Amino acid sequence: MTDLSVLREIDPAARIAPDATVGLYSVIGPDVIIGPGTAVGRRVTIVGHTHLGSGNVIGEGCVLGAAPQDLKYAGGPTMLRIGHRNRFGREVTAHIGTESGGALTRIGDDNVLMDGCHVAHDCFVDDRAYLGRSVLLAGHIRVQTGARIEDLSGLHHFVTVGRFSLVGPHTPVRRDVPPFTDFRSFDHDWESPPSVCGVHEAGIAAARLPREQEKELRFALKELFDDESALQTKIEQLVNMGVEGEAARLCEFCLRSLQGLYGRCREVYRGKAPPEARRLSPEAGIDTKEHYDEL
Amino acid sequence: MPEISAHAIVEPTAEVADDVTIGPFCYVGPRVSIGPGCRIANNVTLLGRTSLGQRTEVFPMSVIGAAPPGAGEADGQCLLGEANAVREHVTIYAGAEGPTRIGNHNLFMIASQIGPGAQIGDHGIFDNCTKIGAAAAIEDYVRMSGFAAVDDGARVGAYSFVAAYAGVQNDAPPYAMLQGFPVRVRGLNTRNLKACGFGEQDIHALKAAFRELFNGRGAEVKRDALDRIARDAGANPYVRRLTDALRAAAERATAGDGQDD
Repeated sequence: MTDLSVLREIDPAARIAPDATVGLYSVIGPDVIIGPGTAVGRRVTIVGHTHLGSGNVIGEGCVLGAAPQDLKYAGGPTMLRIGHRNRFGREVTAHIGTESGGALTRIGDDNVLMDGCHVAHDCFVDDRAYLGRSVLLAGHIRVQTGARIEDLSGLHHFVTVGRFSLVGPHTPVRRDVPPFTDFRSFDHDWESPPSVCGVHEAGIAAARLPREQEKELRFALKELFDDESALQTKIEQLVNMGVEGEAARLCEFCLRSLQGLYGRCREVYRGKAPPEARRLSPEAGIDTKEHYDEL
Repeated sequence: MPEISAHAIVEPTAEVADDVTIGPFCYVGPRVSIGPGCRIANNVTLLGRTSLGQRTEVFPMSVIGAAPPGAGEADGQCLLGEANAVREHVTIYAGAEGPTRIGNHNLFMIASQIGPGAQIGDHGIFDNCTKIGAAAAIEDYVRMSGFAAVDDGARVGAYSFVAAYAGVQNDAPPYAMLQGFPVRVRGLNTRNLKACGFGEQDIHALKAAFRELFNGRGAEVKRDALDRIARDAGANPYVRRLTDALRAAAERATAGDGQDD
């Protein structure tokens, strides 16, 4: 019998929890931390300053922590941090951050990334998000908790996908997607860009809102998106009515998107670190040793 | 001596320059040549008669020089120039008839595919999941956005931008913003021209020509405007290049029609 146990290239400096597994023909770099119970598949490459939490499943052929595809990247020791219990399909790629964009790419907990997904530099994917097959996130994107992005969608730099929203299949997303909405295109022509075309019912169910809040949220969604003209006036009307909870957050989100360049509120972070990175980056005082224990 | 991982398989007849690094689990075929300063990451497959110019970077899981599906053994030629970056999961097919030729300083992002016999210029940027068809021609400084595709045998002119999800089926003009499927000329790619150091006057002349030639909606070229501008002996050299490309495209289209019949 051939001894297959040697057919992995794991750098001795990498810190891998005793019960984590690494498949055949995988390559693990020196600055990698892999938490307990994480199963890394075959032919996986994990390089750079990449930290994986516990209970993740990484499919065959994934490449995590490679250099960003950004011409500004100067080769610095930026990071990719992946939380717990995420499931990655095959050939998923995620890159480390860039120095000017906050130096951190972050994937939270309980996310599902299907085959061929790409999470680019300085992206923040929160928790419980679903990314369909070959979904491409460009740089500096924020995908908020519970968002669902269907197959083959491509997202522009600096876009924010709101909480529990749905992006339809094959949609070029160039502006922010408001929370709890169904955002899609029916025609891939540049003359009819994708837009909000309804309420994401499954998202509202998943958010488990109190009944009063849900009622108010539905009212706000109907007011705002039945006809998207004069959005700013309608937001002001809703705020003046004194909406609370999720509806108020929806109004705030839409207002920030409207004020942002090209309908993208994160455009203001072009060339500087966003608040998420300042909170989560290693310079903010998270010691890598401590972080390993925390896992 | 090249730095080759103990877990890599490099055929003894492959030509590998001195300061090349090759990561674990790579396969380098017998007729491959790798120029100085190349960095080949892990799990990369180099097949056929592939030649990598100096300072080429190849990232994990990429395949260069593969035979197109159904074409049997990998024996085609695939020539890459200097300082190209081939990112993760990229496939570059070797040409079945002529070689696949790639210039210098191109960036092929994740999962992009270059078809057999494609001719690619210099300084191109090909975003994730772009697809270049067989024997397609891409000129210099072209930028393609995510999921954009160029059909077999089609051509994209220099300095053009192909927007996300666009599909180029025929010959697309130079200097243009191309969008949609079927592809439409949306305007002049001013931003790229400025970045590439075009003068204010040249951009102005091109903008005027674009306004006359295209109606801003379709890919249709106004024939009378094309003839008028092409006849103008004192035209700007860049405008001249544009009209030459448009006339060549029209000729190719009519010749193609004849063959189909």
